[in-house]
Amino acid sequence: MAWLSENGILVGLALLDGLSYAAAVFMVAVGLNLVFGVLRVLNVAHGSLYAIGGYAAASLGLFAASLGAPPWLGLPILLAASVLVGALLGPVIERLLLRRMQDREPVLQLLVTFALFMILEDLQKLVWGVQPVVFDAPLKWLGTVDVPFGTDVIPFTAYQLYVLPGVALATLAILAYVLRYTLTGRMVVAVTVDREAARAMGIDAAKVTMLTFTVGAALAALGGALAAPTVSLVPGVGASTIVLSFAVVATAGLGQIEGAAVAALLIGLGRSFAVYVAPEFEVVVPYAIMVAVLLFRPQGLFGVAETRRI
Amino acid sequence: MLRLEGAAVEIAGAPVLRGVSLQVPPGGRVALIGRNGAGKTTTLRALMGLLPLQAGRLVLDGQEAGEVPAHHRARLGIGYAPEERKLFGSFTVQDNLLLPAQVLSLPKAEVSRRLDAVYALLPELKDFAPRKAAGLSGGQGKMVALGRALMVGTRAVLLDEPFQGLAPALALRYAEALARLRAALPDVAILITESSPDLLRALVDTTIQIERGEISAA
Repeated sequence: MAWLSENGILVGLALLDGLSYAAAVFMVAVGLNLVFGVLRVLNVAHGSLYAIGGYAAASLGLFAASLGAPPWLGLPILLAASVLVGALLGPVIERLLLRRMQDREPVLQLLVTFALFMILEDLQKLVWGVQPVVFDAPLKWLGTVDVPFGTDVIPFTAYQLYVLPGVALATLAILAYVLRYTLTGRMVVAVTVDREAARAMGIDAAKVTMLTFTVGAALAALGGALAAPTVSLVPGVGASTIVLSFAVVATAGLGQIEGAAVAALLIGLGRSFAVYVAPEFEVVVPYAIMVAVLLFRPQGLFGVAETRRI
Repeated sequence: MLRLEGAAVEIAGAPVLRGVSLQVPPGGRVALIGRNGAGKTTTLRALMGLLPLQAGRLVLDGQEAGEVPAHHRARLGIGYAPEERKLFGSFTVQDNLLLPAQVLSLPKAEVSRRLDAVYALLPELKDFAPRKAAGLSGGQGKMVALGRALMVGTRAVLLDEPFQGLAPALALRYAEALARLRAALPDVAILITESSPDLLRALVDTTIQIERGEISAA
């Protein structure tokens, strides 16, 4: 208790940081999860889409600012950049590569998506170089909020406090609604559960797969775009994100949308507590959480062994 | 008329069907009997376009249908109840029934007309309509799979081993339902596979045997 009263601010900061970090990771993980559901391919290159989303958002934002665009425009630009990345790269990657790999050995699929990841990583260096890219206009424009925490007050950016978790929650709500209550969503679920049965029911599984992959790609890009104002973009940002979202998906259980949100929160908070309390464990903590969960529940926290739920 | 002519199908490079020919006239009830691995399921999957024909043709009411993609076969009026039921567990029973009709974007009135017709034929489905399909027993699931096939099977209905694993009481009810179909759907061609002809004897007018991918007796 004495530790807590002395370090109250640290705990508060870790909570807030963890929340905003979890929001970005959730966007990536939930997309990865959707894509795995319909394609049954673990797409390592999903992390590149996060990085490219971040870079594209930053470039577009900096470009708009150089033309004298007002700072509030930064927010819709983040969204527009991710939709653009998803819509441009999603269908191309799905049709040219992943669709052909669908019935191959999982090892081969992993190798191919890993190769794609390396190619995209290089492409990214070619386009944006290796110098850090910074676009923090939306962060600055929204300013900071004083968050009361016990007897302390923690100044925290409004962007990380409201925008990141807000967009993540909205994404969660929209996805859950679409998958459960719309015909398109049901078609996605049907293809996820049983591709052949879905086709026999008249569902164009190839079309559903491409649509889902594009949405997943856009979600990864949105995760990157949303995180962009809070970090400086450097090569390698895609790699650390994909590994972390693997951990989130594995912890939650495949096919779980709400579960991915809980796991992202768990892992986001775990990581940020490590950053503030024991920084030497920052990298280890998310995987320690994953391993601990998988030891006791190999299907993940919310995974159902037989029937999947999405 | 559903007609398969000289169908050859391979799975992973191994020939599974070697020139299978069969036909089911409108209103016809045909049993396809064979041991496990004889090619019954493969025949139905080929009819659904889920496996490509290496040779041979499929003709439905005079139209070539062998090249029609799998997801368009429901639109042609072919309903399919796979052996493993393949219901979507997170959907309710009613949503499972509705799915193929909704995917075809049939008018709402037509969808509810078909649903009522299915409930009239299989009244017990109405009792578990709001339940999640994952909670059904195997036998109940088979009934739902039959109802789902009937929702789009306006020309042909393919039932893969419907009696497999059914408790005797349920098997009896399923047989009664099939008997009712006869009167209710006089124009629909129905093809039923089974490993033993005994269960189907009273329900079909033609029995054909399949053995190692070939029709051995018709």
